[in-house]
Amino acid sequence: MKKMLALLMALSMTTAVALTSCGESSGDSPKDSTESTTSTESTDEESSGETTATTGGQIVIGSVTDVDADMFPGWTTSAENMSIFRLLYGYTTVDYTKDFTYEYDPQVVTAHEEIENEDGTKTFKMTIADDLVWSDGTPITAKDYVFGIMLNSSKEMGDLEADTSTGADYVGYEEWNSGESDTFTGLNLIDEHTFSVTVKADKLPYHYEITYASVTPYPMFKLAPDCDITDDGNGATMSEGFTTELLSQTIADTETGYRYNPTVVSGQYTFTSYDASNYEAVLTINDKFKGTWEECYKPSIEKIVIKKVNAATAMDELAAGTIDLYAGVSGGTEINKGLDLYDQGKVSYANWSRSGYGKLQFHCDVGPTDSTAVRQAVSYILDKNEFAKQYTGGYGKLVYGAYGLSQTEYKANKDKIETELNKYEYNLETAKEVLIADGWTLNANGGEFVEGTDDVRYKKMEDGSLQPLVIKWACTPDNPVVDLLNTMLVPNAPLVGMKIEPTVMDFNQMLTELYTPGSEYNMFNLATGFYPTIAPWYYYTTDTSYWGIYNNNMISDDQLAKVTDEMRYLVDEDEWNAKWLEYQKRFNELCLDIPLYSDIYHAFFTPKLQNYVPDGMHQWDQTLLYAYIDENATEVTATQGE
Amino acid sequence: MAKYLIKRFLYMIFVFFIVSILMFAITKAVPGDPALKMVNPNLASTDPARYQIALEEARESLGLDQPLPIQYIKWMGNTLTGNFGFSIQYKKPVIDVVGTPMLNTVALNLFSLILVFAITIPLGIISAVKKRSVFDQAVQVGSIIGYSLPVFVTAFVFIFLFALKLPIFPISGTATPGSDYTGLAKFGDYMYHMALPLIVSTFCSLGGILRYVRAAMIDALREDYIRTARAKGLREKVVIYSHAFRNALIPIVTIITSWFVSIFGGSVVIESIFLWNGLGNTLLSALRNLDSALYMAMMMFYVVITLLGNLLMDIAYCIADPRVKLQ
Repeated sequence: MKKMLALLMALSMTTAVALTSCGESSGDSPKDSTESTTSTESTDEESSGETTATTGGQIVIGSVTDVDADMFPGWTTSAENMSIFRLLYGYTTVDYTKDFTYEYDPQVVTAHEEIENEDGTKTFKMTIADDLVWSDGTPITAKDYVFGIMLNSSKEMGDLEADTSTGADYVGYEEWNSGESDTFTGLNLIDEHTFSVTVKADKLPYHYEITYASVTPYPMFKLAPDCDITDDGNGATMSEGFTTELLSQTIADTETGYRYNPTVVSGQYTFTSYDASNYEAVLTINDKFKGTWEECYKPSIEKIVIKKVNAATAMDELAAGTIDLYAGVSGGTEINKGLDLYDQGKVSYANWSRSGYGKLQFHCDVGPTDSTAVRQAVSYILDKNEFAKQYTGGYGKLVYGAYGLSQTEYKANKDKIETELNKYEYNLETAKEVLIADGWTLNANGGEFVEGTDDVRYKKMEDGSLQPLVIKWACTPDNPVVDLLNTMLVPNAPLVGMKIEPTVMDFNQMLTELYTPGSEYNMFNLATGFYPTIAPWYYYTTDTSYWGIYNNNMISDDQLAKVTDEMRYLVDEDEWNAKWLEYQKRFNELCLDIPLYSDIYHAFFTPKLQNYVPDGMHQWDQTLLYAYIDENATEVTATQGE
Repeated sequence: MAKYLIKRFLYMIFVFFIVSILMFAITKAVPGDPALKMVNPNLASTDPARYQIALEEARESLGLDQPLPIQYIKWMGNTLTGNFGFSIQYKKPVIDVVGTPMLNTVALNLFSLILVFAITIPLGIISAVKKRSVFDQAVQVGSIIGYSLPVFVTAFVFIFLFALKLPIFPISGTATPGSDYTGLAKFGDYMYHMALPLIVSTFCSLGGILRYVRAAMIDALREDYIRTARAKGLREKVVIYSHAFRNALIPIVTIITSWFVSIFGGSVVIESIFLWNGLGNTLLSALRNLDSALYMAMMMFYVVITLLGNLLMDIAYCIADPRVKLQ
């Protein structure tokens, strides 16, 4: 087919040119696991009898984003593929728990040791369980873990255009990644079940330090069959034969490569098929999967189909039964459609607070939004409560800093956040006051600004020039948020002597402007998320070499930079939370973003899907581990999440 | 004829290169950095220094660090040898990306083409013969409705009618989710999923062609040779099909040829609504994601197809009407 197409195109041109447990039942039934965190109500009085989870059934998950052919991390960033990776690539040593923390998985790691070295580096030594096997029954050894890091950090993978940053935090990465050395000094293969990773001194200490010990195995016997890894004590050394040519056959070959057809996996599910024509991936339960966490959780759903759906007809597909789960639904219109189906007894639903928000973001390096007062004034002239209500149809909340309502840091500081942060309530008079206090008191001729006579305020700058209070807003087309801001924000600007000039542009162009220090645009409409980790020390650094993709507020504030930089090194959770609050207060004071809405996401699903309890910090694939299929279930349920 | 064809081919090569330069220039003028799509965005928040290096490497690998004329020459050289470049959106060679969409688009358009002409030609002839009859007027009204309604409205109406109210057809996709059919069963499932987009595509195309056929037949039936044929006592069927229709075919051939070219052109609206993975959506997605290698390859493919189509149309004219000579 490929050749035919090439021929056709070239010819034409050249013519012109479970939840079952490890062995025994864990006793932690699927239902038990949800009741502690959610309140569940049923449309009927009570569920008729208890249903136990049994392995079996099929679920079709509808996704509005594309599922692409990549079944190997390193090439795609598609959210759905990320979910697939988590289902296919298992036995990760350190993983994200359902209690929102990173922990060693006791089913995988039987012993671990953290060693502080004299040179400031730190070694994480791990012994893996001896009963881990690939889906074909082949034992998983420490070599597969070391291989995973070496492979995904290698020059050879880079030659195939894959991301090779996996081992960037470990000692010796640069030499291995550049192809300079065949030894990765920061990795040690100690014995068949023990290996270690050594983290660079300049990466320590680190709040998420345990994630340095997060390693996933890759089947060396499939991906580099004639290669070997040895260790003479100076690091893991790859044998000869590990070449780009080899990986282009074993991984990148479009017909047989592991990238498109991972035949042997370690995760909860095995890969069954990918249909590019139908935008669909099919996974089948891995009966060799041992389980995860203390409770030894195993999936119960036999077959998972991930299929693309059109947002306009997704609810119809759910009603017609062609999909079983439609997760992450936002916006009043769509949610109300789903709730109508719930009222008709056709679907169940669960909701949760998003770990992120939609926002107006400022550039703080050029005028007039280099002034905190101007940014605050913009916030004051927008009725954010009404905006959130209109945009989300009531299924959203306001936030006042850089956080999402499901973040653990927010939960730890909830009271203080709600009382101590400035909410910038809609008030035109306050907006005028902050502008006047900041010197925006002149008109175009340098005289005093007179309300009703002059249109735009001006401020005398240090060089004697007059700067107009004109904010250039880079906005995207076909965007309901932009439409609403055009009616709720832009008309209010002249009422305080301000002018907001929207310029509609393609999203990619907006990103380019966002990443350009000194861009002519002051304001951007975007959305952001805080899952599962945050790195504010990069986002607010005063080092201008980081401005752009990292610090895209272009903010240079010593206090904010100091607070966020300190966060990076805090390992203690209480200290971290306290510092996080400081960061939020400063962020709020500087008004770097105007958070517009934080959605309450909804998942709608057919009644056969039981015990599906989503939250803002886990994706559907992580939630599905605790769910099961009951083909006889007909009652619909409503689960209100946090 | 041979001399004419050689001249046309030379002309096509000239046009191809002019268009390719224009396309390349427009592509390079589009704002945005394609290299951003090549780099794992998570790296920006975990290791900015590595991210910067990766970004530079991506620019180098895409050839963006070279002067524009060099970039053009390299791209054209590769294209002419069948190397259409690397899709930054799909992270694989362009040729591996377009296979499935092309197959789906050609299948849908080909069936639609067959259906449209199978319906419109006999219907147009009958309408012309029974001009101003109730039948003709009903066909006229129906064709105007089909012609006037936006495709997306028709699509949603048909989904509502035939997938929700009368659940006969599936709403979207090309196969039953999770099915593992093979052989005929697989083909049957594919055709079952194609039904609704095919019906919509056909319904929306009927109006234009129908009216064209009808008008061409009415013109032909007014000609003197038809009166002569009837005066000679020929049977009405012979008059209509052998004399009138053959002459009416000349303008219809133009339409058929241009439609044949459009077999490779995907409908963004139909493909998006029915999630029919075709070339229209692929092109749109490539444009949105600054996937220049992909959309340049597709656009140049369309340029070639259009140039060839025009040539084909001229040759078809010659065949349909012996009076036409290519010079």
